[in-house]
Amino acid sequence: MQRLIRSAVTLVVVIAVVFGLLRQMPIEGYFNNYDKMTPTQIRVGLERHGLNRPYLRALMSFLGNLLKGDLGVSNRYRVGYPINSLIAQKMPISMSIGILALITALALGLPLGVLMARSAISAKRFKAADKAGSAFIAIVESIPFAVYCLFIQIYGTELIRKYIYLPMLFSKENIATWFLPVFSLSLANMAMYAMWMRRYMIDEYSREYTRLARAKGVSEAAISTKHVFRNAIVPLSQYLPTSLVVTLMGSLYVESRYSIPGMGGLLVDSIKRQDNTLVLALVVVYTALSIAGVFIGDIAMAVLDPRIRLTRSQEAR
Amino acid sequence: MKRFKSALAAVLAASIMLASCGGGGGGGPTTGSSGPSTDVYRQLYGSELTTLDYVATGTTVEYSLLSNTVDGLVDFDRYGNPAPALAERWEHNDDYTEWKFYLRQGVMWYDYKGEELGEATAHDFVTAAKYANEAETDASNQYMFEFVKNAQLYFEQSADRLEAANAVADKEAASIEDFYVANGINPDEFIAFDEVGVKAEGDYTVVYTMEAPCTFFLSCLSYNAYLPIYGPLLEEAGSSFGTDITNIAFNGAYIFSEYEPNVKRTLTKNENYWDAENVGIKRIEYIYNADEVTIAPTMARNGEVDFAIIGADILDSWMKAEGTKDIIHNSMPNPSFAYFYNFNFEPRFDAQYEPDNWLIAVNNENFRKSMFHALDRVKAISVYEPYDPQKFLINTITPRTFTMLGSVDYTELGNLNAISSSDSFSASKALEYKELAIPELEAAGATFPIKVLMPYNPATTDWDKECQVVQQQMQDVLGRDYIEIIIEAGPATGFLSAIRRTGNYAFMKCNWGADYADPATWTEAFTFNNSYGFFYTNENRVLSEKPATNKTAATQAIVDEYYSLIDAAKEIPLDFEARYNAFANAEAFLIDHAFAVPFYMSREDGYTIDRIDPFTIPYAPFGVSRYHYKGRVILDKSMGMDEYQAAYDKWHSEWKSLQK
Amino acid sequence: MPTMQKQAFEAISDAASKALAGKPPFERAPYSPEAGEEAPHEAYSYWRSTMRIFLRNKTAVAFLAIMAALLVFTFVQPLIPGQKSPTEIFNDERGIQIRNAPPSREFWLGTNSIGQDLWSRIWAGTRTSLLIAFAVAIIDSALGIAMGVVWGYIRAVEGMFTELYNIFDNIPQTLMLILISYVLRPSVSTIILALSITSWLTTARFIRNQIVIIRDRDYNLASRCLGSPPLKIIARNIMPFLISVITMRAAIAIPNAISNEVFVSYIGLGLPLAIPSLGNLITSGIDKMLEPSLRYQLIFPAAVLCLITVSFYIVGNALADASDPKNHTI
Repeated sequence: MQRLIRSAVTLVVVIAVVFGLLRQMPIEGYFNNYDKMTPTQIRVGLERHGLNRPYLRALMSFLGNLLKGDLGVSNRYRVGYPINSLIAQKMPISMSIGILALITALALGLPLGVLMARSAISAKRFKAADKAGSAFIAIVESIPFAVYCLFIQIYGTELIRKYIYLPMLFSKENIATWFLPVFSLSLANMAMYAMWMRRYMIDEYSREYTRLARAKGVSEAAISTKHVFRNAIVPLSQYLPTSLVVTLMGSLYVESRYSIPGMGGLLVDSIKRQDNTLVLALVVVYTALSIAGVFIGDIAMAVLDPRIRLTRSQEAR
Repeated sequence: MKRFKSALAAVLAASIMLASCGGGGGGGPTTGSSGPSTDVYRQLYGSELTTLDYVATGTTVEYSLLSNTVDGLVDFDRYGNPAPALAERWEHNDDYTEWKFYLRQGVMWYDYKGEELGEATAHDFVTAAKYANEAETDASNQYMFEFVKNAQLYFEQSADRLEAANAVADKEAASIEDFYVANGINPDEFIAFDEVGVKAEGDYTVVYTMEAPCTFFLSCLSYNAYLPIYGPLLEEAGSSFGTDITNIAFNGAYIFSEYEPNVKRTLTKNENYWDAENVGIKRIEYIYNADEVTIAPTMARNGEVDFAIIGADILDSWMKAEGTKDIIHNSMPNPSFAYFYNFNFEPRFDAQYEPDNWLIAVNNENFRKSMFHALDRVKAISVYEPYDPQKFLINTITPRTFTMLGSVDYTELGNLNAISSSDSFSASKALEYKELAIPELEAAGATFPIKVLMPYNPATTDWDKECQVVQQQMQDVLGRDYIEIIIEAGPATGFLSAIRRTGNYAFMKCNWGADYADPATWTEAFTFNNSYGFFYTNENRVLSEKPATNKTAATQAIVDEYYSLIDAAKEIPLDFEARYNAFANAEAFLIDHAFAVPFYMSREDGYTIDRIDPFTIPYAPFGVSRYHYKGRVILDKSMGMDEYQAAYDKWHSEWKSLQK
Repeated sequence: MPTMQKQAFEAISDAASKALAGKPPFERAPYSPEAGEEAPHEAYSYWRSTMRIFLRNKTAVAFLAIMAALLVFTFVQPLIPGQKSPTEIFNDERGIQIRNAPPSREFWLGTNSIGQDLWSRIWAGTRTSLLIAFAVAIIDSALGIAMGVVWGYIRAVEGMFTELYNIFDNIPQTLMLILISYVLRPSVSTIILALSITSWLTTARFIRNQIVIIRDRDYNLASRCLGSPPLKIIARNIMPFLISVITMRAAIAIPNAISNEVFVSYIGLGLPLAIPSLGNLITSGIDKMLEPSLRYQLIFPAAVLCLITVSFYIVGNALADASDPKNHTI
């Protein structure tokens, strides 16, 4: 409960800061043909955007509406359209792609990490798997997403087109068009999960309790699942809720490259167009989501690892 | 690795299954690529509509699309002549202060499903005019009403009313009356909308009364701010007017039938349109793609879409390649928008770029002339237009073909004729003036090289490249010991406010767009109190805490003379020949004294693959007519350059013969 | 693990002495931190072991060589005679710009769309990007580690830091970037400021999380029970554990900063084209990706960028592994 209150305070401070920053945006950005407008037109425009109102008054009325669950209407991105409906239309799309990508990443990344770890601590001849996996991780982790995402789109489309017709753009109805965006989106997480899994598995394998278990005659499989995996999954469990929450925000790159009408890029777009109400609404949503993600992550970690004490003050990711 | 592979397969299968469940949603199957259709026109788009309120919007993407769905009073045909739209005919009184429009009867409004709502009448124009001039609407193009009697006054008063209401709501003022008293507003002076010069006489006549004689009012009418609104719908929708296709009505050639933001939008032919037989294209499909610019060319080549802009980057190779070289053609020069290089007379930039030194230089006419003649505009424009730069170059501020006096182009009138017939670039002249300028500048205390701050907006495609070309080219002509051009990126957001309007540049490309069919529209960038070159003296115009009072006496004398020429021209409202000649002489005076370097006129889309016959497109340097799909014809394949040139020559001679 | 052994030793002897208190034949020794420090040391040099393990990793050594060669070449390239200027526009005999010329003997990697030499632009761009990356990485690591350690270990400030983190983390980076570029104009120092203003948060959080995981481990509990001051626990118990992750973070900060620069260019807030950087070279290359004959303008800068980021990543990781004391016993 106390934590909830403090999260709310954080949220309000974030809103206040962003609100203040938005006030610094250039006035010209609120108008499409600033050069031709008469001074009265500009006055009217500023009035309509609420920019003539005193900072505190404007902030208070925004917070007041927020309490009523009303995020307001968009001002520049889609003039006069309720932001609630805007987000309600876009979020499910980003979410379905994001969750698919997350599932793909987990389903491929975790086994890859386990495989790599076992190959790394095994006899020499199996090391190849670890090497190949490491190379994959190194490539994905180090090359900018923008670059490999682009190459996947160009060459991936060309490759798949040899077998079936594939439009370059995403379409909800055409399943084939889901594959490349989901795949591109999952790679980074896949590599991350594989890397963490490998690292922690190796760490845990060399721990005393594993040695003890082995000495007691517990089977390798049981050691892997009961001891090592359970311990290794702890740090991962903390990230998972956050990753889940991140899917809601969509991916700017993937969505713009494949024309996916999701949340990705909405924030950047609204900032560039200076749609202040939309920026604020998105900041509210994202902040709430990320606080929630961290919260769930901490709980998950504490549940899985009783050694970690979740004290009152301990709640970042 | 085997396990890895099977896991991969499993996940793929799972994701595909999930995808098919999660996908859902309506919408039919996407149109397959069957043979070239002449009924359907498909194109990609990258910027989404921000509003469907066609009266309030000020962006091209919006009014270009929406004006296809709502007919105004007057259109322009493919030769730029006024053509009837909702008004069957019109007349004006002798001194052009009253314009009367007689409407077509029986034209209906429809909703997005094509269901009839009611008849389009004269009242819809009054409703729309009131809506546009109401401060609450915040209409971008409201300034287009400046010629209509009392419209500006009404708008300003409604702004006062709006502010008063907001102040009371915010508890900034105890009551509306208090607000008026505190701000020196007298509510008794408020006028009713009846006093604004737009009226319905009966159901089928609209009358506009002008502030002053206005010969060019027809050209204003073609702007979206003058389009009608179906009254009952506006009343019902209130503030949600134009937020979705369910909240607007259509009476034009097309009905906005499908709108899925960031996915697609569709215009469907209005079968009941009064001029339906001239509407050839049955459906216009817009498919969203954020990277439209890079993807459209390939899709157009493959026949997946019918339109693509071919950017300068790929132009060279596509113009050579089989399969594409025969389908790329140029666009028509568009005289509604023009660029010129401007000198800044009130430098307020950073001390490291030596604003005081620039001030000395810019006040020296020989220095300006050396710059004027040193700029190789062909080279600069070839960044955008490598093959036919002459077609777009202009030697005057007003683009040629913008307006005609009888059969003579405005740019060939009076003293402008000599200027428009020769290219300003001449290395030898530039050096001559440089030799003249050097001793004068030294005497005035300038130091060499003169630093020339030339900013650009990084968000404008290829402007950065142009700057690099111009920098190198001008420095090569004039010598690096004479000028040093410094190119600097301005902020992408709020560029004009940060750079041009605050005098934060020395020499920079600027632009101006025409608003109406009269030479006066092109003087607005240079009038007293403009935010371009600041060559007037005004103690009240403060830039970075310093008033605009830094001209030398010599400069001031030239400026004064220019303003008296402009004022004299404006005093001639009805004698076209005298008026046009007077404006032409004033413009020539400005260019002769090198206050600006004319550059080029709008290239519209530049090189394109476009299955539409470009000469079926309405031609008008102002308003929304040129965006209309009505009358356009889709060809089996996009024109190549040769076909285009032949068709252009034919069109041009027809056009020429119509000018008399 | 010398620290752990030492602590275990201390803990056991302390417990034993408690149990036997007052009983002969052993006298209870008074607690003496100095005496505790006198635990037996192996003949072991941390850095020498690190070096040895690192050199054992052949791939990493190879990439280190590549990285070194790249770095040296990047900075030496303009000094080599016959190199073209990265900003000069080249014209042919007719005075027309040599636009989009494919790679040739004259222009090794071709020219861009206004006739500038891509080869020299790539190296100039690499210089800019590396400069940015190093500056950002230094700020990022210094600020991130300092904040992370304080945040993670000192419970008194933890709550406040967490809230501050949540606040800063939720202010959109794009908003900051736009405002910074509005106030300061796009330039190298603006980009450095813009990129480092938020990136250290991630490092701080990462370090903090590592500390949270380690700080309650048994040996730290033991140390705390034994009254070791926090600074000492941080320096002796926690830092050695962290050196490896810090090394990795610092090494990854460089490819990260380069990626960020690419991202910022992609959304149109990057450096002006007059200052070539890998970010704006790639962004302008992206526009040409669908045209196979022009793809070289994307592929060459992308290849150089990948080479740099991959080698930093691999070397960084190898160094992290090598600097992990756990690996030294093997």
